[in-house]
Amino acid sequence: MSTRLNSASTATKYQREWFAQLRQEVADGAPLALVNADAPQEIFRTMGIPYVVNQWWSSVVTAKRRAQDYLALLRERGLPDDSEQYSSIPLASIYDPAPANAPWGGLPRPSIVLAETTGDTSRKVFDIWDDQPGVSFYPLESAAENDVPARWWELMPRNWEQAVGSDRLDLMTGELEGLIRFLEQTTGRTFSETRFAEVMELTNEQQEWNRRTRDLIARARPCPLPVNDSIPSVMVPQWHRGTVWARDAAHAFHDEVAERVEAGTAVAPAERARLMWIGRGLWFDLDFYRRFEESHGAVFVWSMYLAIAADGYLRYGDDPLRALAARFAAFSDQLYTPPWSAEWYVKEARHHGVDGVVHLVSDDARGSYFTTRALEAAGIPVLELHADNVDARGAGPEELTRTVGDWLEARVRPAA
Amino acid sequence: MSAALAQLLSHHTGGRGAHPGPVIGYVGADVPVEYLTAAGLLPVRLGGDPHTPSTTGDRYLGTGLDPAARSVLTRLLDGGHGPLDGVVVSRDCEASTRLFYALRELRRVEPSRALPPVHLVDVLHLPHRTTTRYVRAKLAQLRATAETWAGRTVDDTALAAAITAHDRLRELLARVADLRRARPARLSGTEMLTVVAATTALPVDRATRLLEQLLAEADGLPEHEGTRVFLTGSPHDTAHVYAKIENMGFLIVGEDHDRGDLLYRRRTGTPTETALAERYQHNGPAAPRAAIRTRAEHTRRQAEACGAEVLVGYARLRDDAPAWDYAAQAAATGLPSVFLSRQPYGGLDDGATEALAALRPAAPAEALR
Ligand code: SF4
Ligand code: SF4
Repeated sequence: MSTRLNSASTATKYQREWFAQLRQEVADGAPLALVNADAPQEIFRTMGIPYVVNQWWSSVVTAKRRAQDYLALLRERGLPDDSEQYSSIPLASIYDPAPANAPWGGLPRPSIVLAETTGDTSRKVFDIWDDQPGVSFYPLESAAENDVPARWWELMPRNWEQAVGSDRLDLMTGELEGLIRFLEQTTGRTFSETRFAEVMELTNEQQEWNRRTRDLIARARPCPLPVNDSIPSVMVPQWHRGTVWARDAAHAFHDEVAERVEAGTAVAPAERARLMWIGRGLWFDLDFYRRFEESHGAVFVWSMYLAIAADGYLRYGDDPLRALAARFAAFSDQLYTPPWSAEWYVKEARHHGVDGVVHLVSDDARGSYFTTRALEAAGIPVLELHADNVDARGAGPEELTRTVGDWLEARVRPAA
Repeated sequence: MSAALAQLLSHHTGGRGAHPGPVIGYVGADVPVEYLTAAGLLPVRLGGDPHTPSTTGDRYLGTGLDPAARSVLTRLLDGGHGPLDGVVVSRDCEASTRLFYALRELRRVEPSRALPPVHLVDVLHLPHRTTTRYVRAKLAQLRATAETWAGRTVDDTALAAAITAHDRLRELLARVADLRRARPARLSGTEMLTVVAATTALPVDRATRLLEQLLAEADGLPEHEGTRVFLTGSPHDTAHVYAKIENMGFLIVGEDHDRGDLLYRRRTGTPTETALAERYQHNGPAAPRAAIRTRAEHTRRQAEACGAEVLVGYARLRDDAPAWDYAAQAAATGLPSVFLSRQPYGGLDDGATEALAALRPAAPAEALR
């Protein structure tokens, strides 16, 4: 019944136009940065340095079914094709023998690459970028804390100093100061404090809209939109945060959801079970999320994309550079490090009144055991799907559908 | 055989053994053991056991992580290390970080397990002043924790003495390592790895005396032969893989992981907290933390210094960093080389054995058992 959200199609269209324009700017001599998703892009925004998010480009290449070609190019050079694929696919574009045939006209060559040294290998991908003529890698440390306070989502917006810890903030602030000087010197562009304050302000406004939207959806009965539509509506503006367009896009998304709630629009005609999806998106089978609406009246009302936009980004304060450091110094802890991650999922599950959680546990599970444990302890049934049996090559959609269906009948909505 | 060598080779590792005082288990070469020694606590480096299934560890960490870390967690939870009075975990690699998070969370949600207190020491490695400042702050935290655990303060004199003692141990380890680099070699790689492991489980003064004695008895040590290998890739917490490689007629004369040469290469020098922070920050380059270029240059220099004839890369399944380094290392050394990828914990698969056999120039038949 529900048609595709306007916000989703507008966002997708905007992304195309933006990328074409970026290609033009770079062709005309602008510097280009390639940055990891969890890096402080706000610095580039402030200085007017065009940037592309590494993982976004990877998703474009994957969606155009070129990922395997690109991984083969790495393999030919003696590099692994089985680790860090999501960050390494854009690297392979420099070895593309036919760059003109690349998706969207191809990724222009960056002059600056920025990433945190997370995990054991993410820096290695960027080390290879750094070896390319004309490309410089600026690495950022990824630090960790002994003790973390409970309920980070309440502390982060204003009491981030307490939530993240002063040592991590001193470190990241120092690194950002170094980054700014490095960019000033290599690009000749300047960093205006005034402009930076605007960028931070716009970003906070955008996430406030996301927060209102998340809260609307949490309270709405029935659920007014499928998660498939909320993902592009949140994520495309997220890559453009710090712009007026992005803030307005988040606002428009909110208004569209509000109208649907007002009108009583329902994803499923008879909503009997509200579900939460934990884990990365099931990109190879997005229809999956809607497959239980007819059969079981079960609707996926939650994915992490809108929720982390609502809770994970807001940072206020008089010292915008330290506030920006606080946005990134512990970003992935919010999603993946217990107790933070586990407690947050429980909070969100309750907030959305879900009846069950489908938890995609990847091979490279980070804190998954503790997330499942916390949800079950809160009385919420959890179905763990293990990545190896979710991979398109492993179990097909039918088996996946059967597994979830059986679980719904047995644990979420047992027949009376 | 040298009496000292016999003692070093037979000392239990990875647990408290019969030691009477407080024992602190630690994970990773990035733990500044100087603080523990200075506080009168015995630091014992924890290792895994490839021959015991890591079922308990897998449950909490998943199976996507380095099996060595899953095994360490299993032993911690199943009591394989014996009772410990505390655990210090470093962030030498991602698996150690996750191991710490699991321990921290288990203490919170399953207090009935009565796990010892756990401390994370976040030593980072980018070569910048900002990082040094951060590492100093983390060392100060560890100092405070060591004081709490020991129930006494660690003053600067005690810290300076511990720094000097551990530096002395590193210097002696480097001299012992020369015994296996010598021609003919007086120690095998397997023996060297085992000796190094023993020194991470003994009190520093006891380890120092044994190494001094070993060096004094060096002339009486038997000679070892074999194709000289420089080993790169995963760290080895047991000697199984070394023994298998050396049983094929190789001699491991050097390596670039932190259960071997990387553990003692760098000294602190000035016995101050700042110098100690810099020592741990700049120690390496270890595969999970260093740049590809830095690793390749290090491997080239060290392989040459060891007089290596071949380069062997060994990567355990789920230990992902070595595969990114290998191509540049092989190119930099210019040696005949082989990369053994996705190897089982503590073992070599059939493909690896074949690849190694093919690497030997002219294999004397008697060496191939
Ligand atoms: S460390 Fe020393 S005192 Fe302790 S058990 Fe080993 S030999 Fe005995
Ligand atoms: S030496 Fe190795 S193979 Fe033999 S029992 Fe010990 S762990 Fe097992």
